[in-house]
Amino acid sequence: MDWLDKLSIAAIAGIAVITIGMLANQELMQRGRDNPGEEAKAKESSYALQMEENERLFKGARTLEEQGLYKEAVAQVEDIMKSYPEKSVPYVYLGRLHFKEGKLGESIINYRQAVEMEPDYVDERTPRFIGDEIKGIVEEGREKFGREKELKPEDKEVREALKDIYYLQSRLAGGCE
Amino acid sequence: MRGLRVIDVSIVTGALLGLGGVLLVSAGNPVNSGICVSCFMENIAGSLQLHDDLRMSYIRPELIGFILGSFLVATKSGRFQVRGGSSPLIRFFMGFFIIVGCAVFIGCPIKMILRLAAGDLTAIAATVGLMFGIWLGVRYIKGGFALDQEKELPQINGFVIPLVALILLIFVFLSPSFVKTGQKGPAAWHAPIFISLFTGLAIGAFAQRSGLCITGGIRNFFLAREKTLLNGVITAFLSALILSVVLGQFRWGMTAQPASHLNHGWTFLAMVLVGIASVLIDGCPFRQLIKAGQGDVDAGVTTLGMLAGGGLVYSWVLRSTSAGPTFEGKIVVLLGLIFALVVAVAFRKRKLSIQEI
Repeated sequence: MDWLDKLSIAAIAGIAVITIGMLANQELMQRGRDNPGEEAKAKESSYALQMEENERLFKGARTLEEQGLYKEAVAQVEDIMKSYPEKSVPYVYLGRLHFKEGKLGESIINYRQAVEMEPDYVDERTPRFIGDEIKGIVEEGREKFGREKELKPEDKEVREALKDIYYLQSRLAGGCE
Repeated sequence: MRGLRVIDVSIVTGALLGLGGVLLVSAGNPVNSGICVSCFMENIAGSLQLHDDLRMSYIRPELIGFILGSFLVATKSGRFQVRGGSSPLIRFFMGFFIIVGCAVFIGCPIKMILRLAAGDLTAIAATVGLMFGIWLGVRYIKGGFALDQEKELPQINGFVIPLVALILLIFVFLSPSFVKTGQKGPAAWHAPIFISLFTGLAIGAFAQRSGLCITGGIRNFFLAREKTLLNGVITAFLSALILSVVLGQFRWGMTAQPASHLNHGWTFLAMVLVGIASVLIDGCPFRQLIKAGQGDVDAGVTTLGMLAGGGLVYSWVLRSTSAGPTFEGKIVVLLGLIFALVVAVAFRKRKLSIQEI
């Protein structure tokens, strides 16, 4: 080992120590800023705010739903949808309302749209999880459209409905997606 | 006797892969994804911020275990041989395209076996596609295909990928703020760190000894009717099947399967790509990690290509969801097939006719 090797090793060790020191310092500062408790609280309060906003937006539609005026409730939700196209909640409402109206196909389309926009609906580790609700509707849909497919194997609407059902079933099954 | 021992190690590795894949699901990994090199590469890419889907961001200790397990056994048994320099850029892009193919199917060849063993019939098209791709690759090998000759390289080259794996392992334990970990979606589904790591280490160690490779096993059979590695592949399937049934993870059917889609044509094509590319670069994604751990610099370059692929399949949406493959995913699968075929043709060493001489 000549003097150049020794100098290089000393330089490597020195730079490594400085790098680790800088990283540790940065990390400590970052952790001080990102208080995980605060972060969780912020997330919770943001979720609560969203819930509050949804409550306000859909109050009228829910009243109509309680009165059994599903058609009117659907119209109101569709209006909200136009003003808030980025929101997935209206699709959940439409799914529920169409199901109550007996329009199973349309209900399933809307649930699919909701899940595509917000995967948390089928993620049981999140507060938005409505997997059980979707599962019930999907099972009913599978039975109905499965029967219809046997009767009308070439019917495009039936095939599309089954595609949506398979999509939701796959998402409900979990996996790496 | 020596042959029998090799067969035994291959079978043990296969059994570990199959059983490990199912048990890791019971321990917390995503359903049917106990072990999936491509999904886990996507997860690691996400945690290193190579894509921004937090639901797919988690440093999977299993892959670290594969590399370090292979490294430890290779160094201890004198099998750590640092070689490389064989068409590195081509291998990088092959690694990238392999991950795109896997993302369009939603799983690597190991996950394909695990999905099949869990009763997911959509994996049949993938199996047929993979076998066809391997068969095609074998045609090219028989027709004179070979990438550039690798050569011995200075030892330090072989330590780079194991060192990267070690640094990732440190990140797992220290969770620095620049490493992202998703709290929902597939990222939130994971086995306890030590279980994942030890399973990975055990599989990596045995895979280094046996040379088990999913595509390699099928390739050897097509090429020379040689069954040593194929026995390991079959063992992986059978052990996963038995344990899936015992643990109640088995669900027979084409629909309602987790992270799957019904576009069988694209599944087939995507796995043809994975099959042919894996044969051309001599190893499936799993084998590339094992080789990278034992000093193979070319496999290390492929691993980096796979990591880049893991980031880009999300950033550029080159993948499938339960709704099927995206347009971008389909296009890149086709581009990948073109790339693989061009490489296969370009590297063929044809026999010269008398007139040409």
